[in-house]
Amino acid sequence: MNTRIQFMEELTRLHHDILAMGTRVEEDLRRALEALRTGNLDLVQEVKAGDEVINALQIKIEDQTAVLIATQQPVARDLRELVTVFKVTDNLERIGDHAVHLAKTARRLAEEPYGRSLERLERMAETGCSMVREALTAFLNKDALLAKDTARKDDQIDADHKAFVKEVLQFLMEHPDRAAQATKLIATSSFLERLGDHVTNLCEAVVFMVEGRHVELNE
Amino acid sequence: MKKNLNDSNRFEVAIAREAEGGGTSPYALEVRNLDIRYGDFPAVKDVTMAFDKRQVTAIIGPSGCGKSTALRAFNRMNELIPSCSTDGEVLFHGINVYDPGVDAVQVRRWIGMVFQKPNPFPKTIHENIAWGARINGYTGDMDELVESTLQQVALWDEVKDKLKQSALALSGGQQQRLCIARAIAVKPEILLMDEPTSALDPISTAKIESLLDDLKKRYTIIIVTHNMQQAGRVSDKTAFFLQGDLVEYAPTKDLFFNPKDERTENYISGRFG
Repeated sequence: MNTRIQFMEELTRLHHDILAMGTRVEEDLRRALEALRTGNLDLVQEVKAGDEVINALQIKIEDQTAVLIATQQPVARDLRELVTVFKVTDNLERIGDHAVHLAKTARRLAEEPYGRSLERLERMAETGCSMVREALTAFLNKDALLAKDTARKDDQIDADHKAFVKEVLQFLMEHPDRAAQATKLIATSSFLERLGDHVTNLCEAVVFMVEGRHVELNE
Repeated sequence: MKKNLNDSNRFEVAIAREAEGGGTSPYALEVRNLDIRYGDFPAVKDVTMAFDKRQVTAIIGPSGCGKSTALRAFNRMNELIPSCSTDGEVLFHGINVYDPGVDAVQVRRWIGMVFQKPNPFPKTIHENIAWGARINGYTGDMDELVESTLQQVALWDEVKDKLKQSALALSGGQQQRLCIARAIAVKPEILLMDEPTSALDPISTAKIESLLDDLKKRYTIIIVTHNMQQAGRVSDKTAFFLQGDLVEYAPTKDLFFNPKDERTENYISGRFG
């Protein structure tokens, strides 16, 4: 078979696996959010199981990528794409970890309800979900513009994080006996804030892949 | 003979003048509007480029793109092909090597060439090195020259006990290093290499590639290669030729990682060629 055709076929297989990994990350984040809203603990278990699937996919994709680099010796755009795959999987895996953190928080809140609005926390997770989906689309479509637009949404997450921490600190002052819960909520909010940063990293990697230059998005 | 001496002096005077002035030009060779035709067929079209001193420049491109033709023009080797005509300038120390009165033999003394297949003379190893130096008027200690030259190409330890044996008894890789030694024995400034490792096994290829890194401390090297990985490994700059045009010329890391021209991207990625 023509080696170029073979390379393109391998790349298509790789894209399918990245799509599967990214979709699972996004789904788990939605499940964790749903668990937070409904207290459905079955969803928490599904998110934890999903993390193992995500980790396995990361290893599979990175192995495939390493083999492609070794055997096909790609250059230029092809090489940038494969280098980007490592960044994409690395960031998706971390986002998956944050979905697990959110799910664990949902379980704790089911056991001990917070009693106040979690709207900002939920919106952070919601924004994170749509950012993951868009960043993945930008990667698969090699769309630098979409990547740049997506990274801008991190501002929304950052603003919600700041406001939510403020709310929880207010709660803490009023209920010092619930310091443990307040600390967990602040930690969860910080994880979601980091999630936004990971999607931003992913978007930067997409711009690098398409344009061949390193950019700092959403500084 | 007198003409040769004058030509030799002409280059030497230009080199000495440049050295006195602090060697202002960063280029070892400047090519301006080079056009080469085989009969009516344009093989190289209006190529303008300059080669950095003591750097390795790779020329890549598909078969028939004009890369070897361009390389051979740099020391007037194309003159040996009857149907070939050349226009434009190839400036070595400011002197166009195609100027009337410039002797091709003297051009080749300063701008040496190593070919695809090792082509040692059917003589002893010693004589392969000594011959070129002798006809270029070298009067120093010939044994010393042979030893230092063979050391420069990392061949001395392998052949020091058989200098009087035929060069044809050496392996392909050793023969090619001997040919490089023969080329540098006359102390050129530029070495042109036309796919110097395409007939060699991977170990011999690796030795030559490693040698290039050492040689560029003293010489400017221009290498034509079909092997893009090799261009990526050994060169500082790479030029991509296509159908006689110089499409892109850039630092190697840029050309292989982020080429500016779509045709370069397509070629180096294996989409054609």
